[in-house]
Amino acid sequence: MKWYDTWIRRGAALCMALGLLSAGASAMHIAEGYLPRTWAFAWMAVCVPFVAAGFFSIRRKVSRYPKAKMLLAMCGAFAFVLSALKIPSVVSGSCSHPTGVGLGAILFGPTATTVLGLIVLLFQALLLAHGGITTLGANVFSMAIVGPFVSWGVYVLLKKAGCKPALAVFCAAALGDLMTYVTTSVELGVVYGNIGSYLAIFAVTQIPLAIAEGLLTVVVFNILEKYSKAELQELAVL
Amino acid sequence: MGTDRYAYASRLRRVDAVPKLWLTLGSLVLCISCDSAAVGLVTLVLMGALTVALGGQKPAVLLRFLRLPLAFLAVGCLPIVLRPLPAGEGALWAAELFGRVRWGITAEYLRMGLMVVCKAMGAVAAMYFLSLNTPMTDLTQALGRLHVPKLLVELMELIYRFLFVFSDTARRIRVAQESRLGYQTPRRSLRSMGELVSSLFLRAWRQADRSYTALESRGYTGSLDTLPALRTPGRWLYGVLAAVAAVQILTWMAERSWLQ
Repeated sequence: MKWYDTWIRRGAALCMALGLLSAGASAMHIAEGYLPRTWAFAWMAVCVPFVAAGFFSIRRKVSRYPKAKMLLAMCGAFAFVLSALKIPSVVSGSCSHPTGVGLGAILFGPTATTVLGLIVLLFQALLLAHGGITTLGANVFSMAIVGPFVSWGVYVLLKKAGCKPALAVFCAAALGDLMTYVTTSVELGVVYGNIGSYLAIFAVTQIPLAIAEGLLTVVVFNILEKYSKAELQELAVL
Repeated sequence: MGTDRYAYASRLRRVDAVPKLWLTLGSLVLCISCDSAAVGLVTLVLMGALTVALGGQKPAVLLRFLRLPLAFLAVGCLPIVLRPLPAGEGALWAAELFGRVRWGITAEYLRMGLMVVCKAMGAVAAMYFLSLNTPMTDLTQALGRLHVPKLLVELMELIYRFLFVFSDTARRIRVAQESRLGYQTPRRSLRSMGELVSSLFLRAWRQADRSYTALESRGYTGSLDTLPALRTPGRWLYGVLAAVAAVQILTWMAERSWLQ
């Protein structure tokens, strides 16, 4: 081995790590055209029952309580704007966008979040080129189905187990966030092999982000509990 | 916001959204289905040229938007190209990274990575033809005519309307916080961010409340019906779709016969 070989290798690894940190922000949506035809349509098919269930539950609520439509639309727009904000990351110097998965699932419940997530992801694909039309199924599955259901499940379980609310909210948001990324890497890995590398890339970039998002969700939740009890009670109707 | 600003300035704006939607979906599905780098590049060039020539967008704008997905593609293609190799397999470049495992790049996977990048860029260009030439309100009305459930279309219209209101609110709060040194330390920025998100939620909620009251006092019974604006039917776009599809399929056949 030549003497400069190790240095080249170290330099390459450093460049890779820096590149990954900066790219982590946009890496959560699978880009348009990245998945082959069969997988793209398979993920869409997987999403259909969840979206249908969410749609019918929303329709039931809207027919009973007409104002629900306006409130749901408000929640969807809130989720879109939330995911466009930059959050301060634990690693100084880098910043990223929250997914809003945990907050959405705790506030609006997992079924409503699925339908809102579908609309928000379509808007993100068309307006901001985050994600795409053919990869919509895969993105909806990871970000609007797996993430919210995990968050909601963790939150309900921990609350039943008698945890402090802050801890339950933190675990729900951070785990929902992490499971979203694990799902994304599995979706990429089953197509192109090499799941381990995808998981490693996402683990390096996303664990700090998941922690940051968990902390942020706790702060938001504390403020909401303190100042907007009435709104949260009305939300329980949704 | 994003592509929307340019869609309102497009020359194809007055054309009905349905043919534009089919043109995009048709070329998109063909581009994905062919699994070939050449078809991807041809789709990229054709759909980009259509956006510039028919839609009248500036090439610089299109190029700027085409750069957006590159970050994801770079990260996403790394594990395709760089893999752990079994000992003794020939490779273009290989080294022992991360401990004792031999990692390397083989010609086969390099070709696969290139194919995925070309295909994805073609698909992105096809999607931009839709989003750079169709305002979102036209698209939601077109979806309604294509029998997407009414409730879903109305939710989309309302969400789209609220997007601009809330992102403006968020921007104002952010400026106010930053001018008061709200993001100086990590601890403080976490707190400021939490306050931003929660007050955004509250304002959004009150906005929805007020909109509902305003609508109800004007006789709202559960649906917002508006008259569609006048649009030219744009059936000639189906001809363009056939031409693009023909070029894509010919490229695919040419590449296959050339490779054999």
